[in-house]
Amino acid sequence: MNGAELKALVSDWRVATLIILIILSVVAIFPHFDQQGHMVSNLQYGLDLQQGSWLQLEFRAEVVGFTSDRPVGEFITDLSKKLDTEVLLVDPTHLEIRKYYTQAELDPIFAAAGGKITTYQQGVSKATAEDVKRILENKINTLGTKDAKVNTLTGMNNIARYIRVELAGVDMKQAQEIVGKQGKFEIRVQTTANQTEHVLFGDAITSVQNPSQEPAGSDHWGVGFSLSDSGATAFRNGAIKYGATVDPANHNLVMLLDNKTVYSAPLSEDLAGKLLGADIKQLFASTGSGKAGITQATNLEIHLRAGALPVDVSIAGSGGVSAPLGERYKMMALLAGIFALITVGFVIYFRYREPSIVLPMVLINASEIVILLGIISLIKFQLDLPTIAGLIAVVGTGIDQLVVITDEILHEGKVPSPNLYLKRLSRALGIIVVAAATVVIAMLPLALMDLSTLKGFAIITILGVLVGVLVTRPAYGKIIMQILSR
Amino acid sequence: MDMGWIKYDIEKYSPKQLVIIPLVLLLISIVLLSFNMINTGMPVTPGIDFSGGTAVTVITPDTREQLLTTFSGYPLIDVAEGVNNGKFLKFSSMNDAKFLSLTSLITQKYPDAKIDQIGESFGKTLQYQAVLALIFSFIGMAIVIFLAFRTFVPAAAVVFAAFADMVMTAAAMNIIGIPLSLGTVAALLMLIGYSVDSDILLTNRVLKRQGKLNEKLSGAFTTGMIMTSTTLAATAALFIVSWFGSVQILMEISAVLLIGLVFDIMNTWLTNAGILKWYAMKGGSK
Repeated sequence: MNGAELKALVSDWRVATLIILIILSVVAIFPHFDQQGHMVSNLQYGLDLQQGSWLQLEFRAEVVGFTSDRPVGEFITDLSKKLDTEVLLVDPTHLEIRKYYTQAELDPIFAAAGGKITTYQQGVSKATAEDVKRILENKINTLGTKDAKVNTLTGMNNIARYIRVELAGVDMKQAQEIVGKQGKFEIRVQTTANQTEHVLFGDAITSVQNPSQEPAGSDHWGVGFSLSDSGATAFRNGAIKYGATVDPANHNLVMLLDNKTVYSAPLSEDLAGKLLGADIKQLFASTGSGKAGITQATNLEIHLRAGALPVDVSIAGSGGVSAPLGERYKMMALLAGIFALITVGFVIYFRYREPSIVLPMVLINASEIVILLGIISLIKFQLDLPTIAGLIAVVGTGIDQLVVITDEILHEGKVPSPNLYLKRLSRALGIIVVAAATVVIAMLPLALMDLSTLKGFAIITILGVLVGVLVTRPAYGKIIMQILSR
Repeated sequence: MDMGWIKYDIEKYSPKQLVIIPLVLLLISIVLLSFNMINTGMPVTPGIDFSGGTAVTVITPDTREQLLTTFSGYPLIDVAEGVNNGKFLKFSSMNDAKFLSLTSLITQKYPDAKIDQIGESFGKTLQYQAVLALIFSFIGMAIVIFLAFRTFVPAAAVVFAAFADMVMTAAAMNIIGIPLSLGTVAALLMLIGYSVDSDILLTNRVLKRQGKLNEKLSGAFTTGMIMTSTTLAATAALFIVSWFGSVQILMEISAVLLIGLVFDIMNTWLTNAGILKWYAMKGGSK
């Protein structure tokens, strides 16, 4: 091929698109050496290719659709008492019950309360799932784990049944401890400048509200919480005994989580006065105004819960890979990819025995992988073992379709005239499009479902097919024509 | 058509002769799957992804007996050995407390292990979704094929060949002992895509090209065999590497693909070609 021909080839839009995409992909992957001299890139690895652990937690709660002739508020209070747990209204026809019951167990209780269950599904509302997510993230952050992901898996009906926690660089035992561990919460009263006395532990707190404004609509934020009967008595006695009711300013209430102070403020004059007269069960800890007030309130809510989740969870599934095994898998995956490309090259060579056909085929095939890796880096998709299987599958199908193009064009061994060439190319592309459509359709259910690890595999396979049909096959058609017509 | 190492003398055989071997195999496969269904409630034995349990991969020179002793307090159901000291342990479901104690034992004794645990109810959810995915993807494939060819017999032949691929592969999985897992479901789905590749090529050549039927068939065979052998080569490479590297999920995916592709060769060039030949001889193509 001489210079002019090469220039014409490169300036063909199909070939140009391919070249531009390859360059962009290499930029996106950005392979380089870091300061320690290790080869690194923008590719992100999933938990099976680096040290890390995952835990999938299932909510021990359910969301039920209901009907009732009674006023909703009354109905819910009644149910909550009968079920011995929090019952929340999600929307006018759905309730979240924060304790696990089967529908068979719930039916008679609803009937007794004057209502009827219309739908039943294990899980929590989207809002509760987000709460749980925030609590878990906070817990993980305070423990200084660097690379953590918490995802709620919410279905179409806005009910979340599972929440998945992924922690890079942490082994399974640690992960279980982080997620499962409850802090020790304590309220103490300041007696002198740097002395405090115990008032109550976290077990006296019966419920904690979400951050709110007090009074409503003002910019003063805080968190309301309730104490048990014995807790309220202990709180009143403590406050009176250590002088917080008479001289609030010098006797701060101090809240500690795992012996670290998380909140310290005096009783309000109003509360101090009320406490002298009676036990108070409903308390409100204010955290100030503005953004800082909200942030503090959000943190305080979590601290008040001592990192406990509003809903019980059980471990639905979990897993972990050690650093050496992850490293080994990474090597194996790379090896498998290269090995696959080479074997495929040999098979092709065996068939055509013509380097000028085999070389472009293998290069086009490799370029598909580069482009896919580029897309993966760009969308910050995590490369894991199933995804790599998907990539290798792309090598397999990709070369298949290049064979179809080559054979259609080379039909009867003659190099076709440009007209005939175009007709044959479009016939080949017709076959390819149908084959591609079936692969896309076959993978679509997997890509849409939350079948944990296989989502990535399906998405990569679909992307691979699309890149092939839209970019690399047309470019190959052009290149092979140029080569054959020499 | 002489390809050097394989001969495809399609003109020698009648459509009936072509389809008889695959039909008998399909029948045997269906019987095997039904037998399994009656015994276990599932046509293919589910692995821990679906039945619940814990899978552990360790690279250790410890023998099977040593491992059995180490984990004697836990519901260990299987120890499989790979090459290069790879050991694959399987535990049946246990409660959270027992599982936590198992993880601390493993992290202490084999800090380099890979652990995967699936709870029973989560496994059920996954199984339900996997079955749905298989059904939807098969139906989706069938719709695409019917839309593409718009003639009943050739389209049905492609769909039937893909169906036979899946059934035979599933039966083979039972015989060899590859469980149905997330990985193997993915492989079966991929097979739906792969298996129609060569069928589409064959149907296209026979229906849309001019020429003698037998020539079109053997021409399609040359191209189709190369297509399948490149895919076979890529999967074989994946299988060999994952076998030596003890990467179980890749091993299972590639093993199922290899089996499926071999059945695909038969179902494309005997089943599908047989039906197409019969259809063409009746005057259904140009």
